[in-house]
Parts: sequence; structure tokens; C-alpha cells
Amino acid sequence: MRSRTRKLSHPIMSLLGNKRWQFISIPLFAIVCSFIAASIIILIMGKNPLSAFYSLLQGGGFLPKPNYAAYKSVFTDFMDTMDALAVMILASLSVVAAFRAGLFNIGVSGQMLLSGFVATVLIGYSDLPSAIAKPLVIVIGIVVGALVGALIGYLKHKFNINEVVAAIMLNYLFQYTISYVINTRLADPVSRQSREISTAARLTLVGVQLGGIKMRVPLAIILAILCAIALLLFFTKTKQGYEMKAVGLNMVSSRYAGINTGKTTVVSMIMSGALAGLAGTSYYLGYYASIQPNVLSSTGFDSIAVALLGNSHPIGVIFSSLLITALSRGGTYMSSIVGIRQEISSLIVGIILLFSACGSYIRHIVDQYDYKSERGQS
Amino acid sequence: MPTAIAGGAIAGGLIADVVIIDGLSFALPLLIIAIGGIYSERSGVTNLALEGLLGFGAFCGGLFVALFGTRFAIGSTAPMYLAFLCAMVGGAAYSLLHALLCVQFRANQVISGVVVNIVSVALTGFLTSQINASVFGAPSNKFVLSVSPRVTINSFSQIPVLGAVFTNFYPFEAISLIMVVILWYIMNRSRYGMRLRACGDNPHAADAAGAHVTRTRFAAVMFSGALSGFGGMCFAYSISNNFSPSIYMGAGYLAIAALIFGNWKIMPTFAACLIFGLARSGAYQLVKAMELSSSFSDLAMTIPYILTLLLLIFFSRSNRAPRALGEIYDKSKR
Repeated sequence: MRSRTRKLSHPIMSLLGNKRWQFISIPLFAIVCSFIAASIIILIMGKNPLSAFYSLLQGGGFLPKPNYAAYKSVFTDFMDTMDALAVMILASLSVVAAFRAGLFNIGVSGQMLLSGFVATVLIGYSDLPSAIAKPLVIVIGIVVGALVGALIGYLKHKFNINEVVAAIMLNYLFQYTISYVINTRLADPVSRQSREISTAARLTLVGVQLGGIKMRVPLAIILAILCAIALLLFFTKTKQGYEMKAVGLNMVSSRYAGINTGKTTVVSMIMSGALAGLAGTSYYLGYYASIQPNVLSSTGFDSIAVALLGNSHPIGVIFSSLLITALSRGGTYMSSIVGIRQEISSLIVGIILLFSACGSYIRHIVDQYDYKSERGQS
Repeated sequence: MPTAIAGGAIAGGLIADVVIIDGLSFALPLLIIAIGGIYSERSGVTNLALEGLLGFGAFCGGLFVALFGTRFAIGSTAPMYLAFLCAMVGGAAYSLLHALLCVQFRANQVISGVVVNIVSVALTGFLTSQINASVFGAPSNKFVLSVSPRVTINSFSQIPVLGAVFTNFYPFEAISLIMVVILWYIMNRSRYGMRLRACGDNPHAADAAGAHVTRTRFAAVMFSGALSGFGGMCFAYSISNNFSPSIYMGAGYLAIAALIFGNWKIMPTFAACLIFGLARSGAYQLVKAMELSSSFSDLAMTIPYILTLLLLIFFSRSNRAPRALGEIYDKSKR
């Protein structure tokens, strides 16, 4: 019986056993498993999982829908997804930057909100021309996020305040203060959100006509990919990046090795905060053009899991963000076409994250299998 | 003139009473959730999943009331107590997911916690709408609960200031207090509690001494699930009187902040929760007493968080997490 199961599982195991490809094969395996699990759920509800996934891809703009409204095509949907993707990549990179030094930035949402708010107030309502306003928005996003990150890092280094607690407290502090300012001064009487910002300051160009179709052009996606590459180079090519990795792996021994762990902590939080700030400006001054009071975006929390799905690697994060964003963007269309609830798409996202969290366990099982089969042969 | 002064004194007294009454009804559920977190973290399992656990627990309780609440006599409090029981069982069952991921499947514990939260929000949102639609035929994303009764102990409520503690409290607050005592005893005086703490500080030594690390951690995480479920149900019965996605208002994260503030010990965490709850209700009453517009309550709500941050600057120096917190226990790595 035992040998039979082994024979059955052998192809999968040998596929996963290759150490060189494990970084990609194990996440893929987890994703396949989760799609099987999601299919079972959809089957139980009496719907066809294949058509559900197909419509999910249609909603995300990766496959054409049967019909479109005027001036719209599959490209319109695709660019919408790219806009959301930029935010997710930047937020996940922020988590990665902190994670590298063994820190946990749970305050991405709060940092996003604050930087988006400051940029909105300072630039969003001004009448600066586009060429000045857009770079200024980006700079403000980076600076505000970096300052919050620096504060959290400094509190950790100087007063031994756990970065998780400080970040949670700051999240609420920003949320309530900003909602007060929006409700009293900036609220639009109809939407109850902050007044819409000028198009000159917005990082997403809306309603661009190209070849007879209208679409949005998210500038932040370029920024996000540049940031991912820069972060990769920083981690692999610079001394500071190496020190950060050392501190993340073992704080005590890096201190013995002469690394200034306090400085590394603060620097890594500054980087994380700056990236979160960028995510915030591309969310509130790009994807949206206004801020909803009293709400922290869920992107900041989802990005933690997305960062892991991408192996906490700057380039891996691009792909995991793409997967998760595509799934969540397609949910509305899927529910209208297949007739299942929209919440099912967030459930699928949850299941994917759940399976990918088990990545190291899959690796462990594969290693054990290799070890056993090697012993069996000799 | 004298009557005016008396009137002011009574009003002042009332405000202090309201601050204490509201503060406690927020602080005690928060404390129960935080103690759940302490159990899990002292055993060596980081638990960011409290938010998801309390939501899922409250969902189970709400579901029970929605399904069976009508079978009881009108005005009966039995469904409420049974809902609390269901919430604890549901929370514990759901926490198995976190335990399985962290203890058995060697997942990163922080990530596992976040994922458990995400799944909980998605799952309860989905199930609530689905069940409402298919069982009750109503498009709604909430389960309506009855209002929890409030109790006043007359003989104690006459004590000045402190009398408010015995005035208008929810029954679950009294249960919480009893639970705190029992949980403190289990953690600090019982054999299980000692082993649990050993597993969080030095699992290899605990293992050598005969404790079963995996089993202890499993039990500890389930404790945290049950307690979070209880706390979530308290919020569902006191703040909102229904189960809806608004239960995920961040109380779980707040509880984590409180337990780290309390240095992973039950009594200091009690103090942290009390400070927090009283500052919160105090800020609310302040806005009310000064007759400011309701948008100021947002500003007032920042007071507890600022206060906590300031206090942390003074009290975190000696904070020390359990030594093996977040580490995967590997028997072969001695």
C-alpha cells in the first residue's frame, strides 16, 4: 500500500524535488492545489468551475468579453487591472523591504493613507501644471511614508517598542485624524468622500483615447516595476542590503559581526515606509482620486500575504501581485455572469494564500521523500 | 444657586459613571481576546489571527441565534448564553487552521495569522450572505441579535464612583472577570500553564522534561480561538447587536497591542485594556459634554492610541517577548 502511494506521488515529487526550480515549482503547486479546492467549492454550489474561472479572467481584462460598451474593449479592463496592480506591487515591496531585516510592517495601510492624504491636501487641490504636480505628488508620497517608517524604526531602536504595536497605533491615529479633517473640511456633499483632486495631480491618466477606445494609463505601474528592480539591486549589490539580510537572519550574530543593527532597523523601516507612501499616492491619487473617510484600505493587509506568495523576493512579488489583483478584479464580472456571490473571489484569494503559506511544509515533505527514496535505493 | 451646583455635581457624577460603564464593557472583551493571544504567544506561536478568530467566533454565535433563536421563549436569555458557547466552540475550531499551519505545516506564523484573518473575513462574509439568501430568503449580510440585558447590583451600586462598576453591566462582563481569574490561575499556577510557558521560552528543554510541545501549542492556540470567539460575541452583543462584517473593526489588532504592552503577562495586560477602554469612553463623553459636533468624536478617538504610544515609550524598556516566539519547533535541532 505504501509503495503504491509512493509510485503515484512520484511524478509530482520528482517535479518538485528539483532544487533549482523549487522557488517557482512550489508556489505553482500551491496555486494549482488551491484552484482545485476552489473548483470543488464552486461545484458544490452547482456551477461550472471552468466557466467561473474563464469569466474571472474576462473580468480582469485578460480575455475578451462577448460584448463591450462604446469606447471600451478588453484593453480598457486590462489597464484598470494594471492600475490596481501598481498599488499592490508597491505595497508588497514595502512589506518585503521590512521583512528582509526581520521586521514586520503591519502599518502599510496607515502609511498609504497618510501619504495619500498629505499629497491630496498639498498638491491635489492646487492648480499646478501636470509636469510639476505629478513629480511633486510622488516625492511627497515617498517623504511622508519614509518619515512614518523612520518614526516606527526609531521607536523600535530607541525605546524597544515593538514595531507591530507602534504601527497598529499609528494606523488608527491616522485613520481617525484624517477622517476628522475630511469630514469637517474636505468632504464632497454628495459622495461623503474627500473632494476629487485635479487631473493634473493624478498619477493615472483617465479617459485617454487610443485607437478608438478609451482607457486609463497608470503611470504608477512603471514606477512599481522600477522600484522592484531597484530593490533587487539594493539587496544583492550593496553593503547596506547585505547587512539588512544578515540582521534579518540573526540579529545577535550580526551585532557581533560589527553591523550597526539599530541603523539597519531604521533604514529598513524608512525604505518600507517610502514604498508604502508611494503605494498610497498611487492608490488615492491614481487608482482613486479621493479618500473615503474612516476606512483603511485592505490592500495594505493583503500585501503581507502577497509578499510571501512572491517568496519575499522583489521580482516574485510582481507575479504574485498580478495573480491576486487579477482574481480580485474579475470577481464582480464573474458573479454577474455565473451567478455566484462576489465574495467567492475573495475566498479563492484566501485559499490561494492559505496553500502558499504551506510552501515550506511542501518543501519539507519533498525533502523527506528524497531522503527516504535515496536511502531505499542504496 | 445651590440647586445649580447640585445639578452640576449630579451631571458630573453621571458622566464619570458612564465613562466607567462604557469603558468596562469595551475593556473586558478586549482583555479576554488579549488573554487568548497571551496563551498562544507564551506557548511560542505568534498570533496575529485574533481578528479573524473573533470574527469567526461571533459568526458562529450569530448563526446559532439566526437558526435556532426563534425556538426559545421570547425574552429568554438562553439563546444568548448558548450563542456565547457556540462562539467559543466555533472560534476554537477555526483556530485549528492557524494551529495546523503554524505547528504542523511549518508556515511562517506571521503570514499564517494574516492569511487566517483574510480567509475569515471572506468566509464569514460569503457564508452570511449565502445563508441569509438560501435559508431565510432575505438579501442581507448580517444576523440580527437581541439586545443583551444589563444588570445592576443595587447594594453595591450606591458606592460613590466605584459603584458604577456594579451598575448597568452586561452579564458577559461578570463572566469575563471570573474567566480572567481562572485563566490567570491556569497560566501561572497549573502544570499545564508552566509547560505552556516553557514551550514558549525553551521548547527543547520542555520536551526533554516530558512536555509534548506540539500538543501544548495546539491546545494553546485553541484556547486563544475560544477566548477570541467569546470576546467577538461580546462585541456583537454590546456594540452592534448583530453579526455583520463590521465586527472586523480592528479589536483583534488592538488586543495584540494590549498584550505586547502588558509584556505578555495577564495582569499588566488587564491594566493596559482598562486604560484603553476608559480613555476611549472618556474621550467620547468629553465630546458629548462639550457639546461638539459628532465629527469631533473621530478626533477624540485618537486619544487612546496617542496615550498608549506615550505610555509605551516609558514602559517598553524591559519588554521581552517569549524567547522561542515565532520559531518553528524542530525536534532535531537541539
